[in-house]
Amino acid sequence: MTGTTSQVPDAAGAFGSRRRRRAWDRAVRGSVPFWLILPVAVAMTAILAYPLYQLIVISFQKYGLFELIKHSGTWVGLDNYRFILHDPVFWDTLVRTIVFTVVNVALTIVFGTLIALLLVRISTFMRILLTAGLMLVWAMPPVVAVQVWYWMTNFQNGVLNYTLTQLGVGDYFQHDWYATPTSQLGMTTSLIVWGAIPFIVVAVYAGLAQVPDELVDAAEVDGARPWRVFLDVTFPILKPIFLILTSLSIVWDFGVFTQPFLLIGESHVNTSNYLMGVYLYEEGYAKSDFGRGAAISMLMLLMVAGLSFFYVRKMVRMESAS
Amino acid sequence: MKVRIIVAAAIATMLAVAASSASGGTVGLKAGKSITVWLQVDAQNSPDWLALTAATNAQFQKDHPGVSVNMQYQTWGAHLQKFDATLAGGNTPDVIELGNTEMTKYMAAGAFQDLTADKASFPNSSTWLAGLAASGKYNGKLYGVPYYAGSRLITYRTDQFKAAGASSSPTSLAQLTQGLSKLNAKYGSKKGYSPLYIAGTDWYYALSFVYDFGGSIAQQISGKWKGTLESPRAVAGLTAYKAFFNVASRASKTTDEAHPNPYDVYAQGLAGSIEGPGWFSCCVGKQYTPVTAQFVMPSHTKGSVMPGFLGGSDLAVPIGGDKALGEDWIRDYTSTSAMKAQQAMGNIPNTTSLFNPSNVHEKAASRSWFVPTSKNWVNVENGNVLRTMLAQILTGKLSVKQAAQTADANITFTLNQ
Repeated sequence: MTGTTSQVPDAAGAFGSRRRRRAWDRAVRGSVPFWLILPVAVAMTAILAYPLYQLIVISFQKYGLFELIKHSGTWVGLDNYRFILHDPVFWDTLVRTIVFTVVNVALTIVFGTLIALLLVRISTFMRILLTAGLMLVWAMPPVVAVQVWYWMTNFQNGVLNYTLTQLGVGDYFQHDWYATPTSQLGMTTSLIVWGAIPFIVVAVYAGLAQVPDELVDAAEVDGARPWRVFLDVTFPILKPIFLILTSLSIVWDFGVFTQPFLLIGESHVNTSNYLMGVYLYEEGYAKSDFGRGAAISMLMLLMVAGLSFFYVRKMVRMESAS
Repeated sequence: MKVRIIVAAAIATMLAVAASSASGGTVGLKAGKSITVWLQVDAQNSPDWLALTAATNAQFQKDHPGVSVNMQYQTWGAHLQKFDATLAGGNTPDVIELGNTEMTKYMAAGAFQDLTADKASFPNSSTWLAGLAASGKYNGKLYGVPYYAGSRLITYRTDQFKAAGASSSPTSLAQLTQGLSKLNAKYGSKKGYSPLYIAGTDWYYALSFVYDFGGSIAQQISGKWKGTLESPRAVAGLTAYKAFFNVASRASKTTDEAHPNPYDVYAQGLAGSIEGPGWFSCCVGKQYTPVTAQFVMPSHTKGSVMPGFLGGSDLAVPIGGDKALGEDWIRDYTSTSAMKAQQAMGNIPNTTSLFNPSNVHEKAASRSWFVPTSKNWVNVENGNVLRTMLAQILTGKLSVKQAAQTADANITFTLNQ
């Protein structure tokens, strides 16, 4: 009896112990992904989350040169945000940046797609040549590209003025391509579109490989013209790619700084040609008003996050579908 | 047991390494004292200037054995952002050169150490060039030691002026304008030729007309700044500038004085003369160097010179820098012999005791103007308020009065922020 009664708890204990071990093993196995992701999470926290936290803190402070030297800001609540949202320059800049972004993205996507379609139709040799050229454009650092652009469009000795004059397009001798805000932003657009096209070409060209030839052939047999084939066959298949490319281009072009700041030039940058990135730089760094600069950064971050929403949602849906 | 031995050996090794590192660090600290000096790249681009800096460092190290000088050269475009970063990080240099228009903002923020008590110990401090010395003072305290100033002159082609019959020592704006018209008649058929190349938005030059006609950029009234470019005298000066530009220059009406460099235009044979700092004569090209000379820009009032912008630099000891060593280095770098070397390089020394009335640079500095001494002035510069106004005037987008009123509104708002 004693022996019988003493065996039952042992068996129950052993069973419980096995269950605990299994649960522990499951927990360990389940935690492996979290351990694997830990280094990345720590690194991201260090290089992204903490600066972002500081940015948010500073955006609620008066933080100028005086505070920079003291290493301590003064809390001003929403004052920085209030100032910016009541600043007509901010609203003018925002509208200008939206128009600029729409024009740049549209031109980039259209020209990129046209070149990608061209790549499909040309010989292998020409395709390699064109692709290599595009890669060189893609590889060129923006600062170098700005310098090259500036030389080409120089008022005094620019090759663009010379070529246009020689071709008989008109008298472009000493034509100033940076005389008005519209022409300044126009030159910036040409540089940005030129630099962004290769990425679009490569992505769309890769997408075109997914378009079944039989569908295109069938449409052509039915008498569809090339434009109709593109609209009704190619475009619907490439739509997810276009959506992603457009979203990414919007995010890039909305926050662009290097090209407009360097090409228009520090001595020409003023409120009539500000884009959001330049506005942020001028208010935050040039005026050493880091609190206000942080607030502008936060507003830009929210806008870009909003713009990125479609991109992220599309990515998530594609992941789910696959 | 084996494990214990290995652990013990490892700990012993670590302690030994730590001990040797510590002793090495102490020795290094004793021997490695240094000061950091930030100068602008101008000092790096001239052999004479480099020699002057080397001589200063040699003298400093002779006075302070074992202390080395870490020279760092900065560009005008990026040095303030870099300085801000050092202020944030608490690793400021011990001596810094700042442009005289940049000083006020940093003095007001408390970025520099107060040198007032030691003023008398700086060479020639009783005869410092007043216009330059003023830029190193804030609220009656001395924060910056005047370093050097630069005059602005007309650099011209002697051969062209002679051939065209233009006066090479004009005594009035009218006489200069007349001479430039003659140059235009003789050489103007060459495409892109300017009798006097002026970058349209070169405000350092254009605003000289404003001061010549008795105007100013802004004035402080009862503690508040007010833009004064729309005053009748300032408008008269801006109107005179527009008229003069149209006769003298075929440069872009919207470009600045660095795109292209006026001396490059001159070296290409596309200018009979150029306006700008006196050192422009260095870079006019070998072909034209023998036929190049300089004169001072004449005033609209006969017999007088036009007030020139007094550009220049100051030397300061930033907060956190070694004040004693920093001051000593500045004393060596602004000694009388150093100032004579500056003078020989075509710069204006920081002391009037070395002035020579027949020197064209110092003659130009005899009438000068300076920007409003507001801590926010640099924001007016960075916002390109004056350049925008000049472009609007020259292109005819706005009348002189309208452009001046717009600029005044911007200046008043910015300076009082």
